[in-house]
Amino acid sequence: MLLSFPAPPPLSLYIHFPWCVRKCPYCDFNSHEPHGAIPEQRYIDALLADLQQQLPAVWGRPLESVFIGGGTPSLLSPEAIERLLSALRAMLGLGPDIEVTLEANPGTLEQGRFAEYRAAGINRLSIGVQSFEDEKLQCLGRIHSRREALHAAEAAHAAGLENFNLDLMFGLPGQSPAQARADVAQAITLEPAHISWYQLTIEPNTAFAHAPPVVPEDDALWAIQQLGQETLAAAGYVQYEVSAYAREGRRCRHNLNYWQFGDYLGIGPGAHGKLTDAPQGRVERQWRQRHPQAWLESAAGADVVAGRRTLGREDLVLEFMMNALRLREGFASALFQAHTGMPISTVEPALREAERKGLLQWQLQRVLPTERGHNYLNELLQLFMPEEK
Amino acid sequence: MTDLQHIRNFSIIAHIDHGKSTISDRFIQVCGGLTEREMNEQVLDSMDLERERGITIKAQSVSLHYTSRDGETYLLNFIDTPGHVDFSYEVSRSLSACEGALLVVDASQGVEAQTVANCYTAIEQELEVVPVLNKIDLPSAEPERVIDEIEEIIGIEAHDAVQVSAKTGLGIEDLLEELVRRIPPPVGDSDAPLQALIIDSWFDNYLGVVCLVRVVNGRIRPKQKFTVMSTGRSHQVERVGIFSPKMKDLPELGTGDVGYLISGIKEIDGAPVGDTLTLTDNQAKAPLPGFQPSQPRVFAGLFPVSSDDYEGLRDALGKLRLNDASLFYEPETSTALGFGFRCGFLGMLHMEIIQERLEREYDLDLITTAPTVVYEVITTKGETLMVDNPSKLPPTNLVAEIREPIIRANILVPQEYIGNVITLCIEKRGVQKNMQYLGKQVSLTYELPLSEVVLDFFDRLKSVSRGFASLDYHFQRFETGDLVRLDIMINGEVVDALAVIIHREQAQIRGRELADKMKELIPRQMFDVAVQAAIGNQIIARTNVKALRKNVTAKCYGGDVSRKRKLLEKQKAGKKRMKQVGSVEIPQEAFFAVLHVGKKQ
Repeated sequence: MLLSFPAPPPLSLYIHFPWCVRKCPYCDFNSHEPHGAIPEQRYIDALLADLQQQLPAVWGRPLESVFIGGGTPSLLSPEAIERLLSALRAMLGLGPDIEVTLEANPGTLEQGRFAEYRAAGINRLSIGVQSFEDEKLQCLGRIHSRREALHAAEAAHAAGLENFNLDLMFGLPGQSPAQARADVAQAITLEPAHISWYQLTIEPNTAFAHAPPVVPEDDALWAIQQLGQETLAAAGYVQYEVSAYAREGRRCRHNLNYWQFGDYLGIGPGAHGKLTDAPQGRVERQWRQRHPQAWLESAAGADVVAGRRTLGREDLVLEFMMNALRLREGFASALFQAHTGMPISTVEPALREAERKGLLQWQLQRVLPTERGHNYLNELLQLFMPEEK
Repeated sequence: MTDLQHIRNFSIIAHIDHGKSTISDRFIQVCGGLTEREMNEQVLDSMDLERERGITIKAQSVSLHYTSRDGETYLLNFIDTPGHVDFSYEVSRSLSACEGALLVVDASQGVEAQTVANCYTAIEQELEVVPVLNKIDLPSAEPERVIDEIEEIIGIEAHDAVQVSAKTGLGIEDLLEELVRRIPPPVGDSDAPLQALIIDSWFDNYLGVVCLVRVVNGRIRPKQKFTVMSTGRSHQVERVGIFSPKMKDLPELGTGDVGYLISGIKEIDGAPVGDTLTLTDNQAKAPLPGFQPSQPRVFAGLFPVSSDDYEGLRDALGKLRLNDASLFYEPETSTALGFGFRCGFLGMLHMEIIQERLEREYDLDLITTAPTVVYEVITTKGETLMVDNPSKLPPTNLVAEIREPIIRANILVPQEYIGNVITLCIEKRGVQKNMQYLGKQVSLTYELPLSEVVLDFFDRLKSVSRGFASLDYHFQRFETGDLVRLDIMINGEVVDALAVIIHREQAQIRGRELADKMKELIPRQMFDVAVQAAIGNQIIARTNVKALRKNVTAKCYGGDVSRKRKLLEKQKAGKKRMKQVGSVEIPQEAFFAVLHVGKKQ
């Protein structure tokens, strides 16, 4: 049976910037310390060449959002951003109210940068603060200080970019619940529209994985999480995803599209894209050359694609759930059909089992994780994995 | 056809590692039984497992032609014997087909208990025992001391023992000469009605049941009809021959020969080991003396992790049983583990081997419950029950008496470790029956409950004596004991498969240790898991596996989902190795945990 899509899902664009002043020991993203100056001009050219090749696949589909992530994309000059966004407007026709986010590192900001970014078309910032304690920042290998973090948030307001996110971590080495709450409280006083508050995870192949720091125990982490969530809720930040908290109307549209299993183009080194070919009833993932140099050299040719994979029915089910069940509100039954091309009845046995285990609620039109399902999401997701022999 | 005077039937009695396989390989080489290319090391241990563990499980034979220094050619039938205590009944079988045995002793390690026991069996069966010192080339060899030991401990003349090094080949021909000279030829009457003893039988996928027989009287050839004397069933001979060590068909097997017989028998039970074959139309008056059938002593439940594998497990057990008449199994139902089989084994090694073969050769994922012995239970109504499963023990108020099997253990240990070994035996509720100083070794005889021995006695004995102590044991009797059933409850539910029968005095400590071990083995789950140990209604230990607070990936933003997916797959695969009991996931090792408690000193 073919997958059936009445219309393709919403489409976003992710742009990857692969360089950082310094690689953080916990970071498992595709980021590199540059040797010498960043080839800004060449990078933008390559991005556009990369995009150009993918345009036929998305012809006529409007973009919902653009996200420039990294790495540290705030190392780009406002001129480069300007050139990039202008080109995107020409190629894809950006709508007037789409969300355009730039990730920024508080340690890389020159005076007045945010205003220039805004002038170039950036309307949302995601500031990688991680902590407001100098000692913790140092331990995380961050290049910025508490002072610079505070300044970055103030600068965002001053530049008229009130729609900004603060990235904040908890479960840091030696962190007490009080310290974690102080970080959250400090973030709140800066009045961001959105706070991503996530637990430090030791990922494989990172410096931390090789020399693991001592992080708080399970029970202490739980206490921290409870405390932080109360603090955020009291200040009007509503949790809508495992690690995402937003003020009314300020949820991140770009990330929401991921979590609702929408489509996205990915350009830049190592960027992943996921596209639905509605007429063909096919969903494909594509990823690009990971190393910056390899990507720069191949961006204009077919070699830029490092791999592609058509998702099978089981992949679609699991990947949809891995994303959609992260959301507190879950998903409408119709969304499953619209974004996987399969009727919700496909997953009925797993949904029933999850309900029986108290991990999920399946109301008439909506499927959402219970509090328990939210906390034990990995257990919940395993119910949607195929039984292998 | 070789006349009787030129046939020698013999076995080798040796402790594991004392060089039996190497010597037999040398024999094959000297007698040209195999070409260089075919000379795979240790030809006789044919199962992978046997080769890996360096032990022999099944008896096998090889027939070789040896031309001695007197110019005569002799047919040497070597019948291999297993070296482990679990399989001692197989030893007596093999010996009963021989007129002599080589007693091989490591010239530096000296005599071991197992060797002594087997040697006594040989002497009882009136075999000529030829002592041999092996590994004579090693610098640590002490032939004089070991000769004294053989004389003192076993009580046979050993001063003329042949000294060899199977590794270098030194002395091997002298040994063959000695063998021909000392071991008497078989006696029998070729013209008498056929009497052939089944030494062993096994199932071959292509040939059906293959019998290894010793022709005591008469002769047998293909197309003849023969009768299995115990069952009275008749079959036609298809092929006969010898192992040279390759199978080699012969026109007939005559008196004194040891070889194979293939017929239309489809099931192993159709050719019981120890039975006598005779010709249907010229029957012998009486069967040959057989052997005691082996009794399973250790029982455990085998359950498939996935209930889908139940049929597969049944088929696999059936196939293993074709080759192993000592394996016992019957269906068992556990509330915790579902459908499986109660299996009986000769001992722990036998159990491990079966378990390993099921997992390896039949690709089954199994849960094995803690091994237990058979208890004789006298009910208040005066009935006697044989209980091979702790969960089948009747309620306390219906039990008048529980009797446990007692074994007599013979332990040989160098003097310096005697203290440790005695301490161990006392800890295991042993009663000393005898102690004798024999050269540098001490021979200890203890009566011990078999249940203590099956747990970890052997490993402990090895560790307290730095590997020097050796053990042999025999079932003695059932004896009343102050025994209780220790139940383990998970979240308030008794898990039948975790129950054990133990001595009341140990119940407190074992209960606590077992509960702690469970806590260690059961992974943290979405809810608290209460573990309790109880005797009847009395809780004697409790512990709690605290719930995991959460299990969720902090970050996931579109992009590369494959890594997050791998994490889920890993978590899920971990669960596959566990059994869901109620809502609790219990790992396989937990059902075996009782084996791992009580080990700390």
